[in-house]
Amino acid sequence: MRALRWLLVPIVVVPVVLLLLHGFSRDPAAIPSALIGKPMPSFSLVTLDGRTVTAAELRGRPLVLNFWASWCPSCVDEHAALLDAAQRYGMSVRIVGVLYQDTPDGARSFEARYGEPSWPTLLDPDGSLAIDFGVSGPPESYVIDANGIVRYKQFGPLTQQVIADQVGRMLGSATAGRGD
Amino acid sequence: MAARQLGVAIDAEPMIRRFAFPIALGALLALGGLVAVIVLRPAGAPSQAVVAHQIAADLRCPDCQGLSVADSSSASATEIRRQIDAQLSAGRSADQVKQSFVDRYGEWILLSPAAPIAWLLPIGVLLAAIVILALWIGRARRPERSAAVPAVSEMDRARARGEAEALDA
Repeated sequence: MRALRWLLVPIVVVPVVLLLLHGFSRDPAAIPSALIGKPMPSFSLVTLDGRTVTAAELRGRPLVLNFWASWCPSCVDEHAALLDAAQRYGMSVRIVGVLYQDTPDGARSFEARYGEPSWPTLLDPDGSLAIDFGVSGPPESYVIDANGIVRYKQFGPLTQQVIADQVGRMLGSATAGRGD
Repeated sequence: MAARQLGVAIDAEPMIRRFAFPIALGALLALGGLVAVIVLRPAGAPSQAVVAHQIAADLRCPDCQGLSVADSSSASATEIRRQIDAQLSAGRSADQVKQSFVDRYGEWILLSPAAPIAWLLPIGVLLAAIVILALWIGRARRPERSAAVPAVSEMDRARARGEAEALDA
């Protein structure tokens, strides 16, 4: 009878340890996006060049929406990957940048220094588009399918490999995954 | 102690010990109940500014994630506070406003976890620990009490009386 009370030890310890193991196995930095599977938030914003772009006119092709800032160090590497993607995927994928908590002058200096993009950069001065997308800090990017549904969120900089994988998913291409 | 050795039962000490734990537990539960009532009691209808501040205090600042939106001066927090005000002015409820941010950011935007299990589990473990501790203390004390008082035989009584009289002589 007295020995039975020691059964309490595993009864308490095992579930607590399992719970802790489950918790520790999850990556706290891997915050899932609440927008996956939902339509992209609508917007109408002005670009660095002064044109107005709406969410509706971005449908029809897969879209990479990239939130960035000139003060964000990892945005430099990401910019190179995006320049490569623009050249590689050309007309089949649309790239649109969104300036995050930055100034147009800062953005222009960055582009002059690291490479003029062939894609537009939207200005989001009050940060409302960033909030609509649930952006926690640059760089963050969203891959949106041709119907305007959010399919993937990248925390941190995009790489050639990630872009290749996601573009492959969107286009259903057999050549996806080879980031050469 | 001396009284026990002479076989005279004095109940005061064990009685206090027997009741101390239930009284302490009752006091603890009463305190807990009082705290729960104070926390959960609905107050009078607060102003929009107060509601907005409460919502902002419940949301995590996306830029500086250790701070609440109410405490952070970052651009994101400023814009979120503006959106909270705009939504409340448009007639949405506090829960609807919070949900709009959860819809966009996910559950992590809330500073306190929404799932009740996050509160129930630690409280449950604490209560279980108290109960187990109480049972363990109770069982540890019981053998001491039953073995404590040996039956005093007539022979021992006579001997004790004889020795006491011999001392007086």
